[in-house]
Amino acid sequence: MARHPKERLAGREGMTRRELLKRSAAASLMLPGAAALLDACAKPGTVATSSTHASGPGVGRYWPAGSPYPLARQDSPVTWKLWREPIKSGLAPEKGATLQIYNWADYVFLKVVREFCKAYNCNYQITTFNNMDEGLAKMRTGQLQFDIFVPTPDVLGKLITGRLLQPLNHSYIPHLVSDVWETYQNPFYDQHWHYTVPYTVYTTGIAYRRDLIPDAQIRGMSNPYEIFWDAKYKGKIGIYDDYREALSMGLLKNGITDLNTGSPKYINEAQRTLISLINAVNVRTSINGVYIGIPKGTFDIHQSWSGDIVAAWQYTPVQNMKTWETLGFWFPADRKGAVFNDTIAIPANAQNPVLAHHFLDWMMTYKNAMLNFSWNGYQPPQRKADPATLTTTKSYYGEPYVFPWLTDAVVFEKDFHVGYFQEELTPAVDQLWHNAWQAFNSA
Amino acid sequence: MRVLPRRRSREQAEGTWYPRWYWPGFALPGTLWMLVLFVLPFYVVVSIAFGTVDPVFQSPLPIYEPWWWTNRYLLEEWHFATGEFRAVELRTLVYVVLATAICLVIAYAVAYYVARFGGKRKGLFLALLIAPFFISYLMRMLSWVELLQPNGYVNDVLSFLHITPHPINWLAGVPFTVVMGLVYGYIPYMILPLYGFLDRIDQRHLEAGRDLGANPFWTFVRVTLPLSKPAILASLVIVTLPMFGDYYTNNLLSGSPKTTMFGNLLDNAMEATGQGPEAAVLVLFLVVFLMIPMLYYMRETAKAQRNQ
Repeated sequence: MARHPKERLAGREGMTRRELLKRSAAASLMLPGAAALLDACAKPGTVATSSTHASGPGVGRYWPAGSPYPLARQDSPVTWKLWREPIKSGLAPEKGATLQIYNWADYVFLKVVREFCKAYNCNYQITTFNNMDEGLAKMRTGQLQFDIFVPTPDVLGKLITGRLLQPLNHSYIPHLVSDVWETYQNPFYDQHWHYTVPYTVYTTGIAYRRDLIPDAQIRGMSNPYEIFWDAKYKGKIGIYDDYREALSMGLLKNGITDLNTGSPKYINEAQRTLISLINAVNVRTSINGVYIGIPKGTFDIHQSWSGDIVAAWQYTPVQNMKTWETLGFWFPADRKGAVFNDTIAIPANAQNPVLAHHFLDWMMTYKNAMLNFSWNGYQPPQRKADPATLTTTKSYYGEPYVFPWLTDAVVFEKDFHVGYFQEELTPAVDQLWHNAWQAFNSA
Repeated sequence: MRVLPRRRSREQAEGTWYPRWYWPGFALPGTLWMLVLFVLPFYVVVSIAFGTVDPVFQSPLPIYEPWWWTNRYLLEEWHFATGEFRAVELRTLVYVVLATAICLVIAYAVAYYVARFGGKRKGLFLALLIAPFFISYLMRMLSWVELLQPNGYVNDVLSFLHITPHPINWLAGVPFTVVMGLVYGYIPYMILPLYGFLDRIDQRHLEAGRDLGANPFWTFVRVTLPLSKPAILASLVIVTLPMFGDYYTNNLLSGSPKTTMFGNLLDNAMEATGQGPEAAVLVLFLVVFLMIPMLYYMRETAKAQRNQ
């Protein structure tokens, strides 16, 4: 290679032995600094994160390439390792503290929190997030020190790998063992509940106006998901503005039950299925279409989380039984549909970890969990909350927890064994899902 | 040795001398503002667009050193922008052009009336023009959602007047509703600058036009309209640029993929895990596209200043 004349030729004038020793010594002193400098200049995002199965943050059978941690599946549970010891047992709750709760908007009944604070002589501060990404982004900064966080199970890998959650000391949470479903004594996404306790359980079905669509009609259909394509309800059909939920409906309609599929063929088919909805019924996407849109008459049919339709009676323009009877919900009778649950966890940098443990226990007790259910419509996985009696037992508001005509919205423990759980995807698969969703939105 | 006195400038001689940094100093707050709140954030957006994502959290990881930039997301999004997104891009252009044209017609008429014929009530009219700013854009759109419901007042009136036999579902992905929402939302931003300019037009120009034989119509066409061209351009820029990035009008008044605008694609990418760089690239595409009207505006403004 030709050199440029301006380049200085090294060692042109030669070097004495003394100079050589001096320069060698200087170089040996400078090398570590240079290494650090080079390290700082390394391409960002290329820091080694590829943990091996042995050194990884958890143990699980399903560990696809490209994932820094094992992914939990119903048939491949994950046990997350304890990256630090839980707090010691028998500690007194922090006195005069302010319990910092980081939760979804409108997802906890303030009466439940107030009663906790009264019992434990503390104050509370609730900060909300609108979606899990926003929640994670704030958690990651580490600047905001929350005591309670309400993550979905599909982000646990991120939170634990990033050491953003602290392991739980079970001795503070006896009600999980005594009051909560057996399934959640050892959930597949967090074996031995090292980091989380379950908050609410819910299914995804179809909400509809019973005054326009008789129960028998939708229940009599061989594939009830096809009701979304019924041109009779054109302009009044909605699906969730959520790529996983919407595409999952497309998959289920096509008979695909793996809601975490990485198959481009199935994802593309689900995409085409959704796109066909646009021309067939001019489908709309919304996030509050069930509890706002259905009662108002904006929608006749909407994809629905069970908790949304259970709480929808609180949003009807007229508050009487006749109006509430217009709210309907369908979920497969064999319970083979989309199921999910939310969890509660304690962030690693919680300032009041003992109080936070007590709060988790508070939310696991039957009385408090059901009081919360009265208000937010999302069922807690409580043993004593017999699904058969939820439609007859009166809630805090004097109405049944679930109206009898909404029995499909009641969640059973067995749903989590036969239903289809949406779990975390690898980045590459997630990209496929996102592309399909963008294609639907720009169709 | 005789020391010659320093030569004094005219300003010094008149006692109005200022240090050299005095006048440029007035630009300092604005410059700082632009640096901190525009240039730096914009560089962050560029660094995200050419950056990567966190391998664990999938959150955008900006790369600030240009020598490490990757064009992976740029190429990916370019593929979409010239393919699947074309329908959305065209739709956005049509909606924005239509909404801006309607805005201009209405806003000009209102501003002209207030400026020329407002008389003693000019203050009242001005207060009424500013009134929409007291209510947030979101609230104004939500009020339309209520009005346009199948059982809302708009359908009640239409049924009462026997204009439609059945209620129209205005919120079911109707392009007219979205364009109307854009017009309603942005029109105040157009009226005010137009009014401000029209109010300052020298009446003697109009009188001269009439003295030269033009009737009121031709006076308007040949004098008022050309004189107000800078204001029209400025108000078009004020309204058009945010309209191109608007996503919540469509979200609230439609929610249908049939009316998806470019802003909605951007919003979707912003809210999706691992899609941060894609969202940043879409922002850059929009910026580059919006440079066209902006540069045209700057050229016209410079030309107008030269002519003055």
